[in-house]
Amino acid sequence: MTHSAVYRIVNALLFVLLLGSVPALPQAALAVEQTQQEGAEQQAADEAVSVSQNNDAAKMAGFDSALSAFARYNSGTGRSVGGVDYGYRYPLAGADALAVLAVEGLTYVYVPDHIAAQFHLDIRDSQVQAHVAQLLEALDVAVSNGGTTLLQLAQPYAFTSESRLNHDGFAIEFGVEVEPGYFYTLISSSDSSDPSHVAYFAETALLVPADSFTIDAAPEGLEAFWNFLGGIDYRPFWVSLRTSAVALIFVFILGLGAARLSLRMNNRVKDVLDSVFTIPMVLPPTVCGFLLLVAFGNSTAFGRWLIDHGIELVFTWPAAVIAAIVVAFPLMYRTTRGAFEAQDSDMLDAARTLGWSEGRIFFRLMLPLAWPSIAAGTVLAFARAMGEFGATLFVAGNYAGVTQTMPIAIYFQWMGGRTDIATFWVFVVVVISFIVILFINLYASHTQRFRKGSGSGAATDAPSDPSANQATNAVSNGSSASQTMPVAPVPTQTDTL
Amino acid sequence: MLKPISQESSAHRFHVLAVILSLLLVLSVPTFLVACGSQPTTPTPQTPSAVAVELQIFAANSLEKALPEVQAIYTQQNSNVTFADTQFKGSGDLVSQLQGGASADILITASASTMDNADSNGSIDASTRVNMFNNDLIIVKPKGSSTKIDSLAAVNAPEFSRVAIGDPDAVPAGSYANQSLSTVGLYSDSSGKGGEYLEGFGDKVVVQSSVGNVAKTVSTGDCQLGFVYTSDLYRYDGIESAFTVPADTHKAIVYPGAVVKTSKQATEAAKFLDFCLNDPEALKVWSEYGFEVAK
Repeated sequence: MTHSAVYRIVNALLFVLLLGSVPALPQAALAVEQTQQEGAEQQAADEAVSVSQNNDAAKMAGFDSALSAFARYNSGTGRSVGGVDYGYRYPLAGADALAVLAVEGLTYVYVPDHIAAQFHLDIRDSQVQAHVAQLLEALDVAVSNGGTTLLQLAQPYAFTSESRLNHDGFAIEFGVEVEPGYFYTLISSSDSSDPSHVAYFAETALLVPADSFTIDAAPEGLEAFWNFLGGIDYRPFWVSLRTSAVALIFVFILGLGAARLSLRMNNRVKDVLDSVFTIPMVLPPTVCGFLLLVAFGNSTAFGRWLIDHGIELVFTWPAAVIAAIVVAFPLMYRTTRGAFEAQDSDMLDAARTLGWSEGRIFFRLMLPLAWPSIAAGTVLAFARAMGEFGATLFVAGNYAGVTQTMPIAIYFQWMGGRTDIATFWVFVVVVISFIVILFINLYASHTQRFRKGSGSGAATDAPSDPSANQATNAVSNGSSASQTMPVAPVPTQTDTL
Repeated sequence: MLKPISQESSAHRFHVLAVILSLLLVLSVPTFLVACGSQPTTPTPQTPSAVAVELQIFAANSLEKALPEVQAIYTQQNSNVTFADTQFKGSGDLVSQLQGGASADILITASASTMDNADSNGSIDASTRVNMFNNDLIIVKPKGSSTKIDSLAAVNAPEFSRVAIGDPDAVPAGSYANQSLSTVGLYSDSSGKGGEYLEGFGDKVVVQSSVGNVAKTVSTGDCQLGFVYTSDLYRYDGIESAFTVPADTHKAIVYPGAVVKTSKQATEAAKFLDFCLNDPEALKVWSEYGFEVAK
């Protein structure tokens, strides 16, 4: 319990920090508050009656009794119990429960005799009837959720304490114990006619003294926002991060390798290879997803062979990683290859004349020179992996906490009617994307500025010992390498983005 | 003189920062792996009498709100049984997904024909198949909309430019809707699949991939009408019933449930299906959401 609370708080803090970096936070908070308040306002429209937050209890000024354990049943069941057919039945809140049954033309309200006596209610008194009806209507509106309400039916109430009555040829019985401890309203017919559509819906509640409970005001403002943050399942964020991070490792290595490989190929092979490496960027993600599903799924020989050998990938987390790798790989590959191709081949040849091995040239010269592009490609690939939706949904599905990434969560939360949570994730993704692009831009402009600066100061600032400068080159940029290598200034290859 | 030096040093800082960031990223991966690996393998306390069981359910999209509540009640009563993230999609999608190699213990679809498909695919254990719920088909409109419909044919009235219907191949609600539409000549095939919409009406139809999407697009006002189940009313805000489609214009709407053939915990799965049908607390949930538990 405490662990999950801590986890919740850490998560909430994390996102508050994240959101805090953007000035739009107040508006976002406000939007959430407003959506939460809408429900409250609707209830407040029913002036005198106050309804509890979970819509199961209501009380009103000037009436000593209140309703609790309210429920509305939009359908019942004709299912028999223990082999006995009870007709069509709707559940009740208990042995002493009020039963409401809306049938064509009127709405029955059954109040058991002993309960009426206990609460000193004369159910024939029109004042009492009006009060009970008002409580019921307020609760009914709160839970009807688009179904026909008692108010919309606008038909007279028939208050009764008779537990059996006849309606239009059907027998109605209130408060029948069908199973131990479970009471029902029963509708049955003596002939073969179907009792299931006699009632529009049924409701039930318990009469309680009005002072037996209090109704708290719905939380507002920051508290509501805090509750909202606390109620969010943060797993999509971690799944996204985990999936993209692992995918990035593969993409980084594979992308560099493929870029290096493509340089060595002769032109025709290179064109073909380049198309193969780049095609996931052009294909719709659903096509990638489809192909992956065909490759690893149960429906092809290869997929079945894999499954027979214990490699079940489809609808698991590794499938999400693979999908992310496939779609992110071309970004890494293309940016890196672009940088490699722009490198001066004379410079590489010069290194060869100095006796450098190809490996050394790659790691000590090409990589450092191309680093800004590689960094940008890495960030882009990471962002693409985070944003992956189509292929992931295809091969990895939507399993909360396993393969449900943020983009997938957005779609399914929206589809499931939880627009506020979808909005939250949209906001998070926008913020992350913004940070990513900002990072690339800052980084690019920084290396640009540095190159210009070092160019002007090269004559005087260059360290006298070239090897001392190599550590800097290894992590930094291309232009300072021009100080150590005896070649013309490297053309702009770093800021292709 | 000073300027380039300061720039260089700030550039250094920047590169160091970049290296640290990428290092952090790489280092964080094993941590995540460990964290993610440790969660599922945490040994759940096992008593000799009750072995921990995790059931994976594939259920029709319309059950998205009701089923989790019933699952919660079940876990409360049987602490050894938990539920993996239940998949709520169009019934046709679920059947394809099962066929494609997804593993599950229970399949609940929104029509007999989709369950028939799962049966002929060999995905389910036919002996466990049972009819679980009945539902009604209704036409919904955005909440507060003043449109009025008094007959099925009225959906083709000029005032409606967009009508949301589920894709009949994947969404049973869509094929029920098309069956009903065929009785008034708006759809060409009385089976509800493989036909064409009447010219003029077809342009208005917006095909959706799940009944939830139908409800959602109507609630946002993007479509003025949509064909959904009665039970969808009670799980979505922003829609209200405009017309109840006469039950005799489409096949009876039944939700069959069955244990998946490859399930390794078939006994527990069958127990849960039985619970859904017969437990009085579960009945309350179904009734609240408008699912009529089948006879």
